[in-house]
Amino acid sequence: MQEGMQENCVLRGENIYKTYDRDSSITEALKNVSFYLQKGEILGIAGESGSGKSTLLRTVCGLEKADTGKIFAGGEELPAGDARYAGRYMQMIFQDAYASFDPGRTMRKSLTEFMAPEKSSPGGGSNERILSLLYETGLTADLLDRHPAALSGGQCQRMSIARALLTGADILLCDEITSALDVSTQARVAELLLRLKRQKGISILLVSHDLALISQLCDRVMIMKDGAVLEEGNTREVLERPRSQYTNELLAAARELELPEVK
Amino acid sequence: MKPSVKDRIKRQKLKIVISSAAALLLVLAALAAPLLVPNDPYRTGSDLIRKAPGGAFPFGTDNLGRCVFSRVLVGARTTIGVTFLLVALSFLIGTAAGMLCGYYGSVLDELLMRIADIMLAFPQMVVAIAVAGILGGGIAGAMAALGITMWTGFARLARSHTKSIKALPYVQAAVLGGKSGAYILAHHILPNILAPMVTYALTQIGTTMIGISGLSFLGLGVVPPQAEWGSMISEQRAYIQIAPWAVLFPALAAVLTILVFNYLGDAVMDYRALSKNR
Repeated sequence: MQEGMQENCVLRGENIYKTYDRDSSITEALKNVSFYLQKGEILGIAGESGSGKSTLLRTVCGLEKADTGKIFAGGEELPAGDARYAGRYMQMIFQDAYASFDPGRTMRKSLTEFMAPEKSSPGGGSNERILSLLYETGLTADLLDRHPAALSGGQCQRMSIARALLTGADILLCDEITSALDVSTQARVAELLLRLKRQKGISILLVSHDLALISQLCDRVMIMKDGAVLEEGNTREVLERPRSQYTNELLAAARELELPEVK
Repeated sequence: MKPSVKDRIKRQKLKIVISSAAALLLVLAALAAPLLVPNDPYRTGSDLIRKAPGGAFPFGTDNLGRCVFSRVLVGARTTIGVTFLLVALSFLIGTAAGMLCGYYGSVLDELLMRIADIMLAFPQMVVAIAVAGILGGGIAGAMAALGITMWTGFARLARSHTKSIKALPYVQAAVLGGKSGAYILAHHILPNILAPMVTYALTQIGTTMIGISGLSFLGLGVVPPQAEWGSMISEQRAYIQIAPWAVLFPALAAVLTILVFNYLGDAVMDYRALSKNR
């Protein structure tokens, strides 16, 4: 890491190894992965399915326990595999927005539950905070009395972003959050992420297989394959002058799908 | 033409309404039995032995001159009451154990599920007879005998539902939101597994009733002279040729009640399956 980045760094992973023991065969999901995320930065993680990018997110926030390696956030080392603890610093946004909410609850109930106690002031303060976050995420208050099934995919995904911000966490881990949405909704959720980054200084780890989205949103990008980081750097540099053959192949595949050109 | 899903759901709803009305009626009759009985169900009389149905004794009298109708009514209280209590206890214990196993996993899960496997390896009635034999009969013994295998069904179902809900993003989001395991079990998992658990409980009522009456029939459950359908059948079966009513009416009551509760359980299960696939 370069000098000067240290104090700006909000999240850091060092030499993370993670293996799965399934059916007596061992899969190496993450091989010596290190990364850092600076304040107000969006770091993209790209790669094909099974490259370990989602596992990396889940390990970082403690939903999975790393075999070895360290994760630092807010200047302290996080206990491995403790999502409750990691949740103080970061929240995860899942691919399936509908499944991110308890189907039997209204949005109001789901959101209130996530209110960080110290952030809710007595006497309706919590409600104000929810309303202001809804406004920031482009939602309206009438949606609060609906159940998740009565929202659109885009609304539901915005709700989960609003809920994540309610906890007071300023790092978001986004796992393919736009892939289940239609194209115009995708664009609006992408805009929302950019706005959160610019206006609130939210830092984001963005996992996606969509290189166009990554080129549009991310300051830096990390290309992963088979659980290892192949290359990492400024998004424009990596996508315009890829050093690894694999990145070239990914870009070629993306071009074949006629995705928009790199910014 | 195949009926549409909407029509089928409507039909299932009707089935649920009818069978739950019948079930309610049976439960009310059982509860109100002491008020409804025309005669003292325990009063014997040498002049009333094996009287055919009619007059003051709608179902006739048994070998000791007791009113069969009154005994069937009071027996409903025993059979239905004991069944409900047993299903409720198994539900509570099994669901709690299954949820803990499914959520926390590890050693506790291994231990409890292996015990459940062992219980399931033997036919329920065989285990029940063995246990009731060891405990020496009585209603508490019969309940323990059936309960020892019954909770495992609830535990397995609760465990598998809990495991699949635990893997859902909303539970993981709750963990990241700082919620404790106990909170998540109570607020997110229990409300979402309650419907399948209650449905399963409904389907267990009929089986449990057969179990209770079966053990009583074998003399391992309710002890005579207390009225219970199984023990009534057992007591009077020697006279089936001369006084068939003393056996037939309690048997009919048992069959009818088991049918009603099985029908209710099936209707609710089908309704849930249909509305889930809608």
